[in-house]
Amino acid sequence: MYLSLNWLKDFVKIPSKMKPEELAQLLTLHTVEVESWRAQSASFDKVVVGNVLSVEPHPNADRLRLTKVDVKKEILSIVCGAPNVAAGQRVAVALVGATLPNGLVIKDTEIRGEQSSGMICAEDELGLGNDHEGIMVLAKHAKVGQSFSSHLLLNDIILEIDNKSLSNRGDLWGHYGMAREISTLLKTPLLPYLKIDEKILIPSGKEKIAVKIEDKNICSRYIAVKINNVKNTESPSWLKERLTAVNVRPINALVDITNYVMFESGQPLHVFEADKIQKITVRLSKDDESLETLDGKERLLPKETIVISDGSDAIAVAGIMGGANSAVNENTTSVILEAATFNAVYVRKASQRLNLRTDASMRFEKTLDPNLPEMAWQRAWQLIKEIFPEAEIAGEVVDVQNFDLEIKAIPLDFSWLKKKIGKQISRKEVQSILERLGFQVEINKNLLIVTPPSWRAVKDVTIKEDVLEEIARVIGYDNIPAVTPNSTLSFLPENRELLLERKIQDILSGSGRLLEVYNYSFVSEVALSKLNIDPSRYLKLVNPISEQQALLRQSLLPGLLQNLRLNQFNYSDFGLFELGRIFLSSPGEYVKDEKGDFLPYQGKRLGLVVSGVDENKNFDQLKSYLDLLFSSLWSQIKLEYTALENMPAWAKEGQVAAIYCHGKEVGVIGVVDNKLANNFGLKTKVAFAEINFKDLLLLDNSVPVNQYKESPKYPAVVRDISFVVDEKILYNDFWRLLVNFHPLLVKAELFDVYQGKALGEDKKSWAFHLTYQATDKTLTAEEVDLIQKDLIQACHDRFEAQVRDF
Amino acid sequence: MKNKLQKLREEFLSALDKVTDLSTLRDLEIKYLSRKGELSNILGELKDLSLDLRKEVGELANVVKQELQMRFSETKVDIEKKHDSNKQLDPTIPGGKIERGHLHPLTLLKRELEDFFATLGFQVMDGPELESEFYNFEALNVPPHHPARDMQDTFYVDIKNKDGEYDLAMRSQTSNTQVRAMQKYGAPLRMIMPGRVFRSESTDSRHEHTFYQLEGMMIGKDINFAHMKNILELVGKKLYGPETKLRMRPKFYPFVEPGSNGEYTCFLCQGQGCRVCKYSGWLEILGCGLIHPNVLRAGGIDPEKYSGFAFGFGLNRLAMLKYGIDDVRLFNSGDMRFLKQF
Repeated sequence: MYLSLNWLKDFVKIPSKMKPEELAQLLTLHTVEVESWRAQSASFDKVVVGNVLSVEPHPNADRLRLTKVDVKKEILSIVCGAPNVAAGQRVAVALVGATLPNGLVIKDTEIRGEQSSGMICAEDELGLGNDHEGIMVLAKHAKVGQSFSSHLLLNDIILEIDNKSLSNRGDLWGHYGMAREISTLLKTPLLPYLKIDEKILIPSGKEKIAVKIEDKNICSRYIAVKINNVKNTESPSWLKERLTAVNVRPINALVDITNYVMFESGQPLHVFEADKIQKITVRLSKDDESLETLDGKERLLPKETIVISDGSDAIAVAGIMGGANSAVNENTTSVILEAATFNAVYVRKASQRLNLRTDASMRFEKTLDPNLPEMAWQRAWQLIKEIFPEAEIAGEVVDVQNFDLEIKAIPLDFSWLKKKIGKQISRKEVQSILERLGFQVEINKNLLIVTPPSWRAVKDVTIKEDVLEEIARVIGYDNIPAVTPNSTLSFLPENRELLLERKIQDILSGSGRLLEVYNYSFVSEVALSKLNIDPSRYLKLVNPISEQQALLRQSLLPGLLQNLRLNQFNYSDFGLFELGRIFLSSPGEYVKDEKGDFLPYQGKRLGLVVSGVDENKNFDQLKSYLDLLFSSLWSQIKLEYTALENMPAWAKEGQVAAIYCHGKEVGVIGVVDNKLANNFGLKTKVAFAEINFKDLLLLDNSVPVNQYKESPKYPAVVRDISFVVDEKILYNDFWRLLVNFHPLLVKAELFDVYQGKALGEDKKSWAFHLTYQATDKTLTAEEVDLIQKDLIQACHDRFEAQVRDF
Repeated sequence: MKNKLQKLREEFLSALDKVTDLSTLRDLEIKYLSRKGELSNILGELKDLSLDLRKEVGELANVVKQELQMRFSETKVDIEKKHDSNKQLDPTIPGGKIERGHLHPLTLLKRELEDFFATLGFQVMDGPELESEFYNFEALNVPPHHPARDMQDTFYVDIKNKDGEYDLAMRSQTSNTQVRAMQKYGAPLRMIMPGRVFRSESTDSRHEHTFYQLEGMMIGKDINFAHMKNILELVGKKLYGPETKLRMRPKFYPFVEPGSNGEYTCFLCQGQGCRVCKYSGWLEILGCGLIHPNVLRAGGIDPEKYSGFAFGFGLNRLAMLKYGIDDVRLFNSGDMRFLKQF
């Protein structure tokens, strides 16, 4: 929203020595954010008054003329297309280098072979009106060479307010409301909004308008005034200047007046062509009802749109935009002036559904004071009468009121104020601040009884904390001291989840030397189908940004693969990890609301990928990372891989395993099927592991602290042995047999895997260091031989394993 | 047996002294130290001794073995050094490169702040990213039809409740965890709640639909505005140095009253005005305020007995300012050229 300093000065005294930036800062620190300010003259930089010396036809174009224009410093040759240009006129000349309000940049140019150094401007090019019929002809006495802004007496300063910062303050959507704030902050008087001669309010005739509101809830007040004998001409220049200053395009006097009053009081108004209307009904839209709005667009009215109708057809979308069928034009002589209060929620919803936000709808959706329409229509009438002295009120003013604004007094006490702000503020100052803002204040000893004004009571001031804010912000947050809170020491429960997260990140990025990534929580159906994953059970967004980000991820894999694809041309052989949530439709741990339902599952997963040209190496490497992670987290824990019954869709046949830790399945690890990886645009092979973070947390809470063990007193006997087995035999099964075979066989460490022709078809060999150790004696070779012999037999019986001879 | 060992030791050591080249050294290794060398032969005879003797000689044999091996290695290194001595060693040559891993810049920043707040006695709590309208809006004093609930701002999840309405959303702010924390821990409370949040917003270099916030709150018997200023001043000093000043100005948020913005002196220009602070000298970092009594009530805390303040800021923006990152999309890009810089 734009504010004109001159306009504000109609209502409040602002010291002339106050700089615009000071006013901007004052409002920013106490009321709303001023985004920027500018001197109005800045928009007419390099536009000057010129005198047209001569006009000649253009040799190469019938419609163009060659002019010589005196701008005092020099005489310019300008090609002009306007039919009304004539020698002797005073005109507005945009010099080379000027940027006009409509964005046009003036350059030295050649038009059909003739030099043109500047432009003679039309009204619309200067943003002063919509006339493009011809150039703007200035008064005869205009001073040649004078800057155009001084010619227009443009001395206004325009402040731009951030609309978002006004969202809870419906009362600040007009100059008068802002003037009230400024008067409060500067402690200067505020003039009353309306100074009207009551006599002009007396109707001249007895015409009646029937107004019916079908649903009290949609419209709390509707004032309709029929006004005759108007001539809807152009607005006077002072009115046009004010509107232009706040970026509103002047249209015609009646429309301009309604806009003027809206930007002044904050109350939107509307005028209907009266000849076409017998009665007015405020109702909700009907099925399939449509209306051509003022902007010339035929609009289907959404359900629950408030509509103004003439008894049968819609003539306006209430609070948003009028209809073309009842629009005033230059021939209008009789109008119905509407000043109403529409339901904020309805207006907001309709404006959203129609995708039509107007200056009126932005105000109505903030919830307006139902007392405002009365002041506003009278102000509009005052202006109409000023511009068209013959105008008269045709009959009784219709005023339907459906509101009962009972304003509740808010009691609070001074000690509470001090306790909440942290600073003592004098009673006198509290009273003065509130009264300047329009609150009624009653003080009874330590008690303060505050009654907010109607324009604040409708929405934003209802409890004592609201009153506190008024006092605190007017004093200034900067004037409240910073005070260290007193507190007692209290025990902070350890956040084990956070600690574990940090450990995992540190291990993987530290000794693991991996990179941590963050990926979106959303995936696309396309990405899933590339991985053979059925998207039907995925949670969806109702309103995604795009199809790429439409489903809630159930695995970290798609995101990690995308990372690999992005990086594969810059890096080779690397690994990434991510710790993030996945989302399932089944209920999870978080309570949804007070009814005791649960939100969908959204547990954390740890995902790891390793990418490289050698598939087996990737897989092996990834296992090494897991071993590093688990052994760093819990030094005694055993990590095992077991065959998976349900193979995940992304995995390569046979190259996938469940990750077991402490007898609990915590995740899955495998090679991503090459075809699927290729579908994903990957040139390399990928191994992937995904671990349920919750399981790690449970382990972390249950794994006992590692207890010290005395180093063995007696030497161990280490025997190296190599077994040949069928390649279908899984290592983990075999290894379990070894480590569970005999109490004296304390360790079986794999040190070589071999597969080759020398072994025969479908065979592989594993070489182990087997460690035999007793805690109470040195084992003899014979004792070890005996155990090992049985072991070899057991391996043969169970796995048909042969000892490999070298 | 002992004599044999001593003799072997002397022989070996005197031979070692004379060695000047690697191939002779290798011959010596084979003769004495290899698996079938003389030392092994002597050790092999140990098993023929009586138990007592075996133990005694065994220990000696171990000592001798270790000594010989050590002397052998020393000689080997010496010879190798001599061998290389005509080459000049450049002490300024860098060592071999050991690649390091990298944590995400937001992880680094989040930890830094968590640790900072821990020094002030603030706990850390995590909340759900897929959240109910109740915790994301209603409990935070954002009534139905409030502009903040707009579909334009919030991602809704395609599950309808019993009334046929969408009431699940991707949380639009970490404030969703405020009421959860109050319900879980009650008052008094000092808590920060960092996490991932979502806004239905098209992305460009300055806009992201997925980003991170850190929410904080302090609730106690007499917590007031002046206390909030104190904590937020400390946050500013932590972020931008001990000279940093805090500026607060009114701003409306439904879940606080009074509500405020917090700005810190721009660390790049020390408040003089520069491109980054848009020539204002201030960086807008925080949203904050005294917790609205309706929010305390939703959390089961009596606003007549307790009061508190809450604040929040965007971690992505802080990281961008800190590291000079000019495109917010880089955080979720997985681009290693970006990630390897932290």
